[in-house]
Amino acid sequence: MEDPLIQTPLGSAVPGRMRSWHLAKCPLPAVHVLPVIAPRFSRPARLRLPVDSATPCVMRVPLIDQRPAVQSYQFRHAPVPPTPWQNISPPASHVCISDLASAPAPASAAPKPKRTRILPPRDVVKLGERFFFLLQPNLETILETSHLEFPRQPFPFQFDGMAFLMPRHGAVLADEMGLGKSMQAISSLRLLVRSGEVRRVLVICPKGLVSNWTREIADWAPELLVAVVEGDPQRRRWQWSLEDVPVKVANYEVVVRDRELVAELGLEFDLVVIDEAQRIKNRSSHTSQAVRSISRNRSWALTGTPVENSAEDLVGIFEFVAPGHLSDSMSPRAMGAAAADHVLRRTKDRVLKDLPPRLNRDERIELTAEQRETYRRAEEEGVLRLSKMGQGAAIQHVFELILRLKQICNFDTATGESAKLECLEAELDEIHASGRKSLVFSQWVETIGRLRGKLSRFGALEYHGGMSTAARDETIERFKHDPRHSVLLLSYGAGAVGLNLQFSQYVFLFDRWWNPAVEDQAINRAHRIGAVGAVTVTRFLSVDTIEERIDEVLRQKRDLSDMILSQAEATPGAGLTQSDLFALFKLVPPKRSAA
Amino acid sequence: MGQNTVEPSITAAFGFLTAVDSPSHGLFGGYLLVDVAGRPLEFHCTAPLKVSRAQQILYGATLHSHLHGQQIGATLLAEGTLQPQVVLTDLESMLHVRPHTKLPVALVVRRDTPPNASSFFVGTACVSPPSDHPEHASQLRAQVEMLVASVDLCEPFERIRAAIEEAQRH
Repeated sequence: MEDPLIQTPLGSAVPGRMRSWHLAKCPLPAVHVLPVIAPRFSRPARLRLPVDSATPCVMRVPLIDQRPAVQSYQFRHAPVPPTPWQNISPPASHVCISDLASAPAPASAAPKPKRTRILPPRDVVKLGERFFFLLQPNLETILETSHLEFPRQPFPFQFDGMAFLMPRHGAVLADEMGLGKSMQAISSLRLLVRSGEVRRVLVICPKGLVSNWTREIADWAPELLVAVVEGDPQRRRWQWSLEDVPVKVANYEVVVRDRELVAELGLEFDLVVIDEAQRIKNRSSHTSQAVRSISRNRSWALTGTPVENSAEDLVGIFEFVAPGHLSDSMSPRAMGAAAADHVLRRTKDRVLKDLPPRLNRDERIELTAEQRETYRRAEEEGVLRLSKMGQGAAIQHVFELILRLKQICNFDTATGESAKLECLEAELDEIHASGRKSLVFSQWVETIGRLRGKLSRFGALEYHGGMSTAARDETIERFKHDPRHSVLLLSYGAGAVGLNLQFSQYVFLFDRWWNPAVEDQAINRAHRIGAVGAVTVTRFLSVDTIEERIDEVLRQKRDLSDMILSQAEATPGAGLTQSDLFALFKLVPPKRSAA
Repeated sequence: MGQNTVEPSITAAFGFLTAVDSPSHGLFGGYLLVDVAGRPLEFHCTAPLKVSRAQQILYGATLHSHLHGQQIGATLLAEGTLQPQVVLTDLESMLHVRPHTKLPVALVVRRDTPPNASSFFVGTACVSPPSDHPEHASQLRAQVEMLVASVDLCEPFERIRAAIEEAQRH
């Protein structure tokens, strides 16, 4: 009887008598291979296979013993310097330390509070610098641990705005009016000053907003010393030279006037913030050149209307923010894509769901009979004159006619009658009785003066560029705190920007401005953060007059800004061109002045 | 904070150690040192480690502990120039770094059931000190108290992952 076969670890079978070292020493003349399943055979079949005596190949599997390469980065302290340990107050969300036995129920079901990360801008290319931003704690944690107090808790979108501004050397904060652009800029620069990244800041704003800025800085960054550059040349020289004041505020006119002085003093700023940045949209203007000539490391532009008339406006602003980044030859879509990382724009309807609504109504006014007659005569004479001028007609001639007709729509130049005023008085009676406040905007200081006389029973106050800054500030305070004054009459030029009048619930546009963006700015003095109720906006529009025709053109123009900022193609001719103006009177512009 | 209070110092550093497995690149390690306010002081990250199928088979169940503990964890901890009070990790397998370092290493996880009895909750996080080093437990607790005033203990790991993702794109 043959030895039974046994299975080797390799899976082959050998006779059972072979054991251990025998197995190794045995010449192994043959290997018996058994099929695993052989149901047809009564006993296992045997195959005889010759064995190759050559040494088998050995495959080497390396151990994982090579340490990986390591890249190391060390960071400077930023964005806020260390706070002494004993001053750190625990944030509410994660302070409770408890043993298992006394552990509260896991808070996983509770909604996580929003945390804002400071992400690196696209133009930061070095990996170490990108890590610097990515590895920072979120903004809320930075603020919690740095003990910076704010007059009120910023909205989440305002944290986003700060996280946008802080890492950027060139930025356009283009939020819709009323969303707190100045507050976001001040809070961001405050953090940068605290971290030592910024030491010298210059804020440039329209003259009428200087006191507004100093007030806002006092609210949102009370520890920062501020110097307002103003007064006679000697005083300004001294103010420019102040070294231990981290923030200087100057208006655009001062910057233009002191352009050479700033250069002579060799002033360099870590950060220059320009408010109402549309002021520098015209690159060849003295204002734009003076602002751009200031030596600076960071450039932030704040504007609610980055594109007022055409895409070139944005190019002009970018010459300050990131020179050469945009060009006039770009299509709106390409421009939007190129600007995307530098521009942040939010609108109230998207970020402020809880803001009271803005109710718009167009009040179509029929001129009085006398007004109509005066208007008809003026238009006929004007058009006739323009027609006679032929190729000699210039844009200023058209403007003159438009202004004259618009003034008649406000007040009949012959009789002083005003259908608009009658309507306004009726509205104000009701509003005054309810104890609410109203803003009335007009293009003309003269109109404002007339209205004030007629609306004295409402305690109407004036606010326009013909007043001193101190007088204007005093007017705002009186309107704000004295209940006898329920109407504030403002000019678009002085009152449309920078003022916080959110305690007013009614806005009247007595006449229309040339640009819807300026009208929006005016309306947003009342319809902004802090508004206590719905804001009703009434736009007076004289029926069958130049006002109606202008309104039609402005409707086409209104969305141009949004189209560019959303990278959409702009419709051609959306702006109010010279051709548009001539077309208001069905005239063809002369060839030399055609737009 | 009682008797376990560690003398606070604004220069105190805390380590956060983790690894990220990228299907396309391999296994990355990241080690972030932050100050008491959670701000980054140092960051170290490894080049990706690629493991072959044969190595996966040979190492079997010990693969992750070997990679995380010895290859990545020990390498990264050796690179730090600052001496952290404690090293926190969100990967259990990373605890195998303990034999290779003298630093106290603890596990931080967001979950309901902690892995050992000496664990304690900090907000939504659960901290588990090393069970084989009971002398570390009380000290760890005091150190975590110092840090938790400003940092959600699970949050720095998200930063590390974001940085490693950035490194992969770079």
